[in-house]
Amino acid sequence: MAERRWRLAAWGGVLAALGLLAAWPLARLAAEGLGSGLGALVGGIGGPGAGAIVNSLWVSLAVTGLALAAGLAAAMLTERSAVAGRSALRLAILAPLVIPDFVSAMSWTRAYGPVGLSHRLLGVELPGLIGPAGIVVVLAVGAVPLAYLILVGGMRVRAEPDLERAARASGAGSWTAFRTVTLPLLWPALVAAGGLVFVTSMNAFGTPAVLGRPAGFSTMTTRIYGDLAFASSDEAFRRVISLSVLMVVVAVSIVGVVDRLGGRAVPRTGVSTGPRASAGRAPWWATTVAWTVVTLAVLVPLAALVLTALTRAVGLAPVPANLTVANFGRALDARALGDLGNSVLLAAGTAVAAVVLGLVATAAGSRWRPRLNSVVTLTFAVPGSVLAVAMLLAYGSALRDTLAIIGVAYLAKLWALGQRPISGAADRLSGDLLYAARASGASLLTAVRTVVLPLLAPAIAAGAILVFVFALHEVTISILLYGPRTATLAVTILNLQQVGDPVLTSALAVVLTAVVALLAGLLLLVVRRWPWAGGVLG
Amino acid sequence: MTIPAPTLALEARAVAVRYGDAPVLADLQLQVSAGETMVLLGPSGSGKTTFLYAVAGFVEIAAGELWISGHLVSAARTLVPPEDRDVAVVFQHYALWPHLSALDTVAYPLRRSGQPANEARRRAADLLELMGVGQLAARRPAELSGGEQQRVGVARALARDAGLVLLDEPTAHLDAPLRAALAAELADRRRRSGAAAVYATHDVTEALAIADRVALLRDGRVVQLGMPSEIYDAPVDLWAARLSGPASVLHATVVNGGLVRLADVEAPAALASRAVIGPGLAELLVRPDWVSLGGPLPGRVTGIWFRGPHTDYRLETPAGPLELREPGSPRAVEGEAVGWTLRRAWIIGSEDGDRGA
Repeated sequence: MAERRWRLAAWGGVLAALGLLAAWPLARLAAEGLGSGLGALVGGIGGPGAGAIVNSLWVSLAVTGLALAAGLAAAMLTERSAVAGRSALRLAILAPLVIPDFVSAMSWTRAYGPVGLSHRLLGVELPGLIGPAGIVVVLAVGAVPLAYLILVGGMRVRAEPDLERAARASGAGSWTAFRTVTLPLLWPALVAAGGLVFVTSMNAFGTPAVLGRPAGFSTMTTRIYGDLAFASSDEAFRRVISLSVLMVVVAVSIVGVVDRLGGRAVPRTGVSTGPRASAGRAPWWATTVAWTVVTLAVLVPLAALVLTALTRAVGLAPVPANLTVANFGRALDARALGDLGNSVLLAAGTAVAAVVLGLVATAAGSRWRPRLNSVVTLTFAVPGSVLAVAMLLAYGSALRDTLAIIGVAYLAKLWALGQRPISGAADRLSGDLLYAARASGASLLTAVRTVVLPLLAPAIAAGAILVFVFALHEVTISILLYGPRTATLAVTILNLQQVGDPVLTSALAVVLTAVVALLAGLLLLVVRRWPWAGGVLG
Repeated sequence: MTIPAPTLALEARAVAVRYGDAPVLADLQLQVSAGETMVLLGPSGSGKTTFLYAVAGFVEIAAGELWISGHLVSAARTLVPPEDRDVAVVFQHYALWPHLSALDTVAYPLRRSGQPANEARRRAADLLELMGVGQLAARRPAELSGGEQQRVGVARALARDAGLVLLDEPTAHLDAPLRAALAAELADRRRRSGAAAVYATHDVTEALAIADRVALLRDGRVVQLGMPSEIYDAPVDLWAARLSGPASVLHATVVNGGLVRLADVEAPAALASRAVIGPGLAELLVRPDWVSLGGPLPGRVTGIWFRGPHTDYRLETPAGPLELREPGSPRAVEGEAVGWTLRRAWIIGSEDGDRGA
């Protein structure tokens, strides 16, 4: 009986949170958008808006194609062949995860842009970096780790090596085995990765802001920002609302399509006790190509960024005589430190709240959890710009220019990242564990404290750190919601970049990335530390 | 004049496999003749699966050579891919493709060998029928029970029509009649095409029943190789004895090759050993069917298990605990003092020397 009451209370909490964080703000947005009819909504988009929509869609499509192809190639290389330096290669492929996308865009301009590293050393620069091509490439580099992680997970869960071996032992060559067995088995993972990458690309603001605005190329997110921050006409406001509603529609449709295409669960077969590593050694050219791409796309830009941050003044050659760490002291002035404080406060608050919500949702029982998971995934898919606009409509009058309004939007966006690891770990817990504790004399609370929580601890830590990292990265939402005293470090860096002080911006970007990388390292430790933590990130 | 050696279906010459730094197979020697069924018998972790994977071409070997039907397929720097080896594999955990129906699964190797789709399907349906799962052709693995999946896996291996079939614990989920059907089908194939089979299992009853020869595997090495009756009658040491069937160890004094003294009673027994039999204290390996109730030796019944066709007894004797099997229903009660006869025994070690493992 006590259990039932707890469950109901937990459900009440979850529903209230859903209402406050997602339902009410999005309802306000819908009311605003549809209030004057569908015609007005479509009309509100207007010429510039339509251009931004088209740009967003094709950029996201191109990023998805690139990232899936590269992610699949990388996954096959590290999972299915004995490639030299496998763990180093894995780490390098995953590195962009800890680099905020606008930092990535900035580091590319430092490496390959006008007066970048390559220009200085070799006299060449990457044509098209400032503009749509650059946006696609930089976003794809950031999205490859997402695709890679999902595909590797898919390979481990579905494409057991024995299934490929069975094909080879049936007379199939390596390409035929890939085409007839591996690829069909990876289909759900490919669809899931494609959906995630598409939604993330459409949501991206930092990269199009850094690489698109100088070229006059806008996407939906930069158009919303421009209209909200710099224009005050009624037409601009209508465009913001119309674009926001449209983005929700696109994001929700994508999630629906992904559910439909990849939804049919294929049960595991061929779980092998045999050796995991396959026999084939990676051909030398594949290894070379992989390392070259990783070096050019990840390592060189990062090096260029760090070198810029260490150079005494803009325009000096990056030779030892011109290097100094003084820039960091100069960059981290009282204001930047305050902004960093805001960032950490927001990230920590969001992480704690997301984990608490995840635990409460878990306590509410397993019956409706899959559906709840779908709902929070949906709010994760809603672009940050839209969430920000919806929060302004719903809570702007009360909370404008406070950290609270940013935090509420963060929580709505990142709830899923905190909840999914916890609910996944809870699903893997056998109910018998709790019964065994009760049958050994533990009360419900004691059983939860001594059995359930320790087993969930890795998932809780993983969820909290994930949310923290993403919140620290976040710029799409905060750039629309920050006030005079509530700028985050990410926002400040992006604003500084627009003003154009490469040295200070780079120094701050390095600081932000270092903090995030440190936390990501902590996450890795968490996963390694607890033997039962395997798969908390899956 | 040199006589050309008959082509072996499989020859392993000093094969070594390592995972990282850990040796899994070391200096493994094995020859399988055409048409022969070789059973690898060993506990889990002894390297059975790894050896099969090396033969199939799934794992590289670190040293040695593997020859299939006279072709070198694996060496330290050579790895002929699995599809180019004349082998078929039945996987321990089935390894059925979750996205293919049973029919498409069995047709898969036929398609790979270049048969047109219709022909491949027809042949696949025949093979499924043969394995007794013809009515399940349209189902996917998720809709099949463990035993049914296993039959589909066997049918797929048969469809490959290879000169060497590797089976990794393939009958773990099969019932007795199906085991017989599979054995009969494999025997038929051997007669027709000279196909050989290498069969990994930890089930001694199965091993002794189907093998032409048995290889006992421990820590990646062949500990003993021989006909099933040799493995049962003359194990190399206590470890091999325990692995190859129920066994008791008695401590007794050997008088000569036909006489032992046990608790001051001298009794005749046919003794055999790998070494010359001399008088003195010895460890005697005794199978349950080598002793019978009634006789000069003293004992007391401590356990009785009626099994239907026969009854198993456990006796406490001055020479140690003894397992004994007699046909028919129980002829004693627990706690009863009984006499017994030692008909034969295998000397595995003398008390002052080698005690076996």
